[in-house]
Formats: sequence, C-alpha cells, structure tokens
Amino acid sequence: MLHVPGDPVTAVTVQVEINKLRYGENLILGFSIGGGIDQDPGQNPFSEDKCDKGIYVTNLTPDGPAEKAGLRMGDKIMQANGWDMTMVTHDKARKILTKKKENVVRLLVTRKSLEEAVKHSMCKWTKQ
Amino acid sequence: MMQEPQEMVEETVTIEEDPGTPTSHVSVVTSDDGTTRRTETKDYSANMKVTKMVKTVTTRTVRQMPLGPDGLPLPEGSSPLGSYTDSIDRRYMKNGGDRFITPQATSTLTRSYNNSYNDSYGETPESQYIRHYGLHDGYADLTDNYGSLSRGVNFRPPRYPYLPSNYRPENSYTLPIRKDDYGHVAQPQVPMGSSTVDLNRSQPERFQPEPYGLEDDRRSLGPEEEEPYELEPDYSTANRRTLQGANRGRTHREPLRDGPRVRGYPDESIEAELIDERHPYIHGMYSAPLAQPERGSMASLDRMGGRRSPSIDSIRKDPRWRDPDLPEVIAMLGHPIDPVKSNAAAYLQHLCYENDKIKKDVRQLKGIPVLVGLLDHPKSEVHRKACGALRNISYGKDNDNKVAIKNCDGIPALVRLLRKTNDMEVRELITGTLWNLSSYEPLKMVIINHGLQTMTNEVIIPHSGWEHEPNEDSKPRDAEWTTVFKNTSGCLRNVSSDGAEARRRLRECEGLVDALLHALQSAVGKKDMDNKSVENCVCIMRNLSYHVHKEVPGAEKFHDPSALQAPGSAGPQRKKKDDAGCFGGKKAKEEWFNQGRKNGENDKNYDTLDLPKRAEPSKGFELLYQPEVVRLYLSLLTESQNYNTLEAAAGALQNLSAGQWTWSNYIRATVRKEKGLPILVELLRSDSDKVVRAVAIALRNLSIDRRNKDLIGSYAMRDLVSNLPSGQQRPAKNLEEDTVVAILNTIHEIVTDSSENARSLIQAQAIEKLVAINRTSQSARETKAASHVLQTVWSYKELRNALTKDGWNKSHFQPTVTTTPKATKNGKPSYDDTTLPLMEKNQDGYSTIDQRDKDCRDCKYKTGDGSADLTEREPLKNDTNRKHYIRSNRPAVSLVDACDVKPQPVDSWV
Repeated sequence: MLHVPGDPVTAVTVQVEINKLRYGENLILGFSIGGGIDQDPGQNPFSEDKCDKGIYVTNLTPDGPAEKAGLRMGDKIMQANGWDMTMVTHDKARKILTKKKENVVRLLVTRKSLEEAVKHSMCKWTKQ
Repeated sequence: MMQEPQEMVEETVTIEEDPGTPTSHVSVVTSDDGTTRRTETKDYSANMKVTKMVKTVTTRTVRQMPLGPDGLPLPEGSSPLGSYTDSIDRRYMKNGGDRFITPQATSTLTRSYNNSYNDSYGETPESQYIRHYGLHDGYADLTDNYGSLSRGVNFRPPRYPYLPSNYRPENSYTLPIRKDDYGHVAQPQVPMGSSTVDLNRSQPERFQPEPYGLEDDRRSLGPEEEEPYELEPDYSTANRRTLQGANRGRTHREPLRDGPRVRGYPDESIEAELIDERHPYIHGMYSAPLAQPERGSMASLDRMGGRRSPSIDSIRKDPRWRDPDLPEVIAMLGHPIDPVKSNAAAYLQHLCYENDKIKKDVRQLKGIPVLVGLLDHPKSEVHRKACGALRNISYGKDNDNKVAIKNCDGIPALVRLLRKTNDMEVRELITGTLWNLSSYEPLKMVIINHGLQTMTNEVIIPHSGWEHEPNEDSKPRDAEWTTVFKNTSGCLRNVSSDGAEARRRLRECEGLVDALLHALQSAVGKKDMDNKSVENCVCIMRNLSYHVHKEVPGAEKFHDPSALQAPGSAGPQRKKKDDAGCFGGKKAKEEWFNQGRKNGENDKNYDTLDLPKRAEPSKGFELLYQPEVVRLYLSLLTESQNYNTLEAAAGALQNLSAGQWTWSNYIRATVRKEKGLPILVELLRSDSDKVVRAVAIALRNLSIDRRNKDLIGSYAMRDLVSNLPSGQQRPAKNLEEDTVVAILNTIHEIVTDSSENARSLIQAQAIEKLVAINRTSQSARETKAASHVLQTVWSYKELRNALTKDGWNKSHFQPTVTTTPKATKNGKPSYDDTTLPLMEKNQDGYSTIDQRDKDCRDCKYKTGDGSADLTEREPLKNDTNRKHYIRSNRPAVSLVDACDVKPQPVDSWV
C-alpha cells in the first residue's frame, strides 16, 4: 500500500457509505482516524511498513454509523467523497470527513484482508 | 415497570442501552391451586437496573360449566362468538362495566364492584387489594354478563395479523387462549400480601394496582412494574454511551420511518373497520345480562381465603375465553366510554410490562399517539392509566418507543399534565415517564425545551424545601425525598449530560441550582444522604460544574486580564443580562480577582487568599462554584455510603478545581482549609473503583495549588501507591485500567516540580511497582503513564543516588522502547494513546484537560449520559481553537512530554 506520490495507486477497495448521525448539533461518523502526512508513520500500528502516511481507521464506536456501514479498525481510507485521502494532513482528513453540509460520507477503503482475499481467489481486481 | 436511568441515562450517552440484554432467571413453580408462580430475577447489565421481580402467572384451569352471559349455560361451543365473549368483557369491562350493568346485575355484584366506578374504589389501600380479589368474583359474574357483548370481537382472530401462530382455526369455536402472548399474567397474591401498599407507594414505576373488576389479577402485577429507572443504565454505560451515541444512528432514524409507516400502516384499514364494528358490540356488552348469583358466592370465597378458589380458576381457564388481543386493546383506547379507555390503558400497561415485543407492537399499531392523546383527557382515571401505560412503554432499550412518544408530542403533553394535575400518583407516573425518555440522547434537548422550567417549578423547588423569598417567620423547610422528586431529579440528571447547551440551560433555569443545593444541604443536615434523590442531585451538580470555568456567563473575566480591561467586549456571545446579573458593576472586585489570579500564577500559594466578599448573596449558577459548596461536598464525601454519590461529589470537586480561573483557585484553597484533603485521601481506600478514580483525579486537580501539592505528596502518597498493581498482579481491588491510569497521572502531577514528593514516592516503595507496570503491563496507557512518572523521578538528580542504592539504574526509568505499540487491554490500539493532544496546548493548563478527561469519564461511569458526549462533541463545536480533540479516556499523561520532537500521531474522532 505504500505508494510514491504521483504514481498511480492500485488497491483493492471497498466502498463504505456512512450516514452521519446527528448528535446534538454535530454530525458524527463514529470512528476515529489516525495518520496523515504530518504524523509519524512509525506509530501507526496498522500499516505494514511503517512508512505509510495514509489515513487509517483507528477506532470505531461500537454499533456506530461507521461500524454499521462496515468500516473496520485498521482500514486505510483512500478517498472520501471523492477527495484523495492518501496524501493529506491529519487535520485536513478530519475536515474532509466532518463537513457539516454533508450528511453522507462515501469512503473508499482498503484493508489487508481484502487484498489477500483477492489475491487468493484470483478474482478480478476492483479498481476504483 | 422499567425505568431508566437512564435508559440511564442514557443514550449517549444515551446510549445507555447497549447494555443490554437482561438476563433473567426464571423459575417456575406450579402449585396445587392451579397457579404457577414465576420468579424472575432480572439483571440488566447496563440500562436498567432491575433488581428482582416476582411475577405470578396464573394458568387457567378449565372451567367445567360455562355459563352464558345471561347466566344461562352456554351451549357448549355454540358459536365461537359466544365463547369469546366472556373473556373479553372481562378484560375490558372492568370499571366501565358496572355503569352499564343492568340493575339486577348490580345486586349480585360485590359491593366493591359497585363502588368502584363511583368512588374510584376509594377505601384504604389495603382494602383495595383485598378488593381486587373480591373483584375477581365480581368479575366471574360479570364475565358471563358481558358475554354477549363481545361477540363482535370474535371475528377478529382470523384476520388478526398479530397472533397468527397462536390462532388455531380448530379452536376458533372455542377461543384460543393466547397464553404465549400475554402469558405473564401476574397474580395478585404474591405481591399483594403484606407489603403491597408500601411498595407501591415507594416505587412509582409500578403498576398501581387498582381495583378494577376483572383485571385484578393483572393489576397485581403492579409490583413487577417496578423497573428501575434507566438512569442507572446511563451511568454505567456512560462509556458505551458515548460511543453509542453513534449507534443511535439507527434508532434515531427510525422515527422518521415511523411517521410514514404509521400513516400507511397496513393494518390501518382493518383496524378502522374493526373499531367500527367493535364498538357497537362493546356497547352491547354493557347491557348484557346479569351475572348469576352463585358466582358471586364463589367470589366471596375467594376473597375470604385470600386465594382464588379452583372454580374461579377454572373459569378463567376456559379455553374459549381469551384475553383481548392488542389491536382490540388499542381500539378500546378510543372507546367513547371513559372507563373502557382507562381500563384498556391499564391493561396495556400491564401487557407492556417487561415485554419489548408488545411495546413494539403497540407502537406499530399506533397505540402511542392514542395514549398520548388521552393524557389531556379531563378524567383523572383516564389520564392516569394512559400515563402508566406510557411509562412502561417508554422504559427499555427500544428507543423507537421513546421517539414515538416524542413524535406525537408526548413530551409537551406530559409536561402539560404535570402542570395541571395535583394527583401525586399521576405526577409520579409523569415524571417516571420523563425519566425514561430522558435516557435517550436525542430526546434530552426536547425535554429541556419543554419541561425544564415546569419540572423545576412544579417538583424540584417545592420538594426541595427551598423558597424563593423566604418569609421571616417561615422556617426553612427540609427536602422531601418523594418519588416524584426522585424521578424528576433522575430525569434532570440524565438531561444534564447532554453537552454544553444543556448545561447552560440547566444552570440558567431559575431556581434549579438553588433548590438542588438546598435539598443537598438539607440531606446533609438530616444525615440522610444515601438515597437515590441525593445521588441524582449530586450528579446534576457535578454535571453542571463541568467546564463551569469556560461556560458560565462572564467566565472570561476571570481568566483573561484583557477581558477585565474591556468588560463590555467580554464574551460577546453571552447574554448581556447574565453578565450584569452575575458579576456586573464590580470593578474593584474584578481587579482583586485579577490580582489573585496573578498571585496564583506566580507561586500558587493561596494560603493567604481571602475569599471575595459579595455584596449580595449569590444565586443561581453562581452557587455552583462558590467556595461554600466545598463544605457540602466534603460532608457528602464524609457521610454518604452511596458510591454513586461519593463519586459524584468527588467529581464535582474535581470539576470545580480544574481550570485556571479565579474560582477554581478559591475552591482548591477552600478544600484545604476545610480539611478536605484527608477526607479525599481516605476515600482512596474505597472499594469502589469509580470512587477511587474520581478522588484520584480530584487530588490531581487540587494539587495545582502548590500547598495542596505538598500536603498531598506528604500524606497521600502511600494510599495512591497502594492502589497500584504490583507487576502483573492486580491489587486486591482489581482496579480498572482507567483508574490505574488516573492514579498514575495524579502521582505524576504530584512529583512534578517537587523533588520532595518524588522522595516520598520512592519511600512509598513505588518504584518497584512503577517499573513493573512500565515493563509488564498489558495496557499501553498504564505503561505510558508509569513511564512518565519514572522519567520525572529520574530527572531529579539529587535522588539518583538513593535510587542507585536501591538497585535501580537508568534503564529502569527509560521508556520501554516499542516500535509496535502494545495493544491496550481493551483492544484499543495504543496508537491513539500516544497522541499528544496538540489542541491541548492551546488550552488553559492541563487540569482542564484532565478535567475533560474526567468529566468524560464521569459521564461514562456516572452520569452516564453525558460523558461520551462531552468529549466527542465539544471539540467539534469549538473547532476553531482546537486542532484535534482528545477522546475522553485518553490518558492525560500524554501531555507531559511531547510535542517538541515531531508531530505526534493524533486520533481524531469524526
């Protein structure tokens, strides 16, 4: 999943559509993110090599909107509502996800189990 | 019934519910008299705290000789209709029935029966119960009488969508008993016996048995109705709740779906039809023939014996009789005759008791709007019963039911009725229902909007004994711990956790804080501090004290000197009038405060600090943070045996002593002067995890005061250390990770900038434990916290000699190097633990952070409702100042080192 900036990325992704939950005056998705190009990639427990500065799902609210939508801990977020999430700062990622005007967030995420499943089954790659 | 605390409390927090699934142990004992007794012990892990309930189920014995409605023997199986009838009237006709009973019938009826309608069964409560039994007979008689009435109903089963499985076509002749559906018929005997009356009084949530004819046995269920308000759940689940706030998503959305669904409900047309055709029959019932005299005699037997004679049982058991099914009951709610309405509502209450399926069915059958509509009914009998049904429906995990009540404007209707009625029982029911509703996060604001001032004025203030403008001659009154007060305070406790806006509304609610404080003071005065009402009050106070230094109108003045210079410009978003009301026109004092603050910054020695004199007594939310409250909380901490109260009182002190504003300086100094530190230290030995945690965090905040830090370092160290696990062995108490981390953070705070305290730490044999935690703990948070302490200790060069003598070397004080962070105990990636809160740096000191930490925790564990909320939501609101916010349970430890090297990973909740 490591990629060089500017190179095309190939990954097995799934689309996860999360309906934000209105919570008081806030909209929440029910998960937390870690990572970003301004963060120390060495501390990311989920990346395979410790150089990945992508945005990862670090925690999920049990039974929250994200979990219900199928998001999992450790998922790497590739895109959110069409915005690239592989080369963003942590804060930028958070802002993209928490736009107040958007009630739905569509994520493209990739996870190790997916990659492996695809490899093993020799299924077609889903390119997104 | 059920209560919640919250749905204690809480969805969020309310979320209270995830908790759960009740586990019930049911033992069934069949006794020879044909009754089955069913004992259930329910244990709702999170939400509801139901302690124990006893249910008796009557199984019916088959009646040998069915008699026709008119007292004529029924032709066996003559028609399905006929058979059906009796049971139906039995259920519905109870009270209403008498009215329409033909004269002859009356004569045979027991006296009670006759009276019931008119005098509302009036008699002493005990007699009522007895009456019930009496009524049975009556009912036996009645059954037949009404028989003819119910005919119409007979048609239903076939088309009734509800109970298809039960419905047995073969039986249509003789009506099937739907035991499965409504199987839990409680019997009066058990609960009724001795304690009934008292029980009912004390526990509002129960179904109040009332003598009404046939239903008696059901009524007796009353006792079971008792459901602990869901508050509890809130508390316990606070944690969950936060998270769960999210899950609500689903439920939350439901209501939307509900609306349309209701409209288009498939059964609607059928229902309408049914109602139409049913009513005539029902009316018919009333004119039904009389009961037979003999029956009456049986009844009397029952009454005398205190238990029902077999013959009666057999009557009830007649397979051809059955209880009305749900659509029928709901249809009855719209019946033109009031007693029918009220009986139907009462029966619904019974059916809903602890039966989530039925609750859901009632909702889907559009029963809830009808019940809400009945709240405005002029007859007390009707709105009381409707209220009882709503209370049961509102209890439980199914938040859709709560939302359904809200969607048909049930909350304003309840509040309206609360204003209108003087009937204590109705008030108990209303406030119980509101308590239940308040456990669901999205409803909290609605409750605040509609009911806050009314609940305060109608319940909290009068029952607290507080008087707005005390007369010279009137003695101060004590608080009365009534059920209504308990329910209302529970409701407010839940809603007080709904975030900053909710706190603001409660603080500004006129008379609320004053009344709560008065109630608590009265509790302290009477040494009556272990009850639930006190617990609720303290929890509200604790919640309202949260972030008081940031949120209170005019708070800026106490923080920022520049604000002092330009008072007019301070807090533009605040209401002007509040500014004026609280601190207006006190320039000199402001300067004084300012000075105090500066002193504080410099040497943190407030010993010489004098508390400000106020020209006028403080009132309203100002009372929250006046140094006078310290004594109140300390008294509670000294005297109360209730862990929740202890935790809340410690949490309140923790909240008040957090933050850098003038008042928290006073609070910290006052705690010391009132000799509160030993009290808190003593509580470190508490068996309750959460008490230890709250106290530890409070001590941490208090040690912002330098004098406090010295004292705590000298006297508390051993107790703090003794709470630490040694190595992988947990101490006897087996404290939770959060608590251990809190204690480590407190220790860290105490040893920072104080080599004396670090020395005490070493003398308390803490190093061994700290090293063990640092090396072997499974919890990344504990490891990290311990490592911070160790690093701080090692930083005192003057201590190294002693440490080396004890056999320690530098490596023991180094952070354990882990490229791959350990997973935390609960499976959270340690990743987020390392996150240094970038945002926090902008804030005022870490006490606040802690605070936040704590509060959140508090909420999770105590208030349940709010905590999760607080942490997660608030940051979003203040997005501008903070880059990231931290989750509540994040260890405060991370603050320490930090950001200097490179950006630390951050977790952001979205």
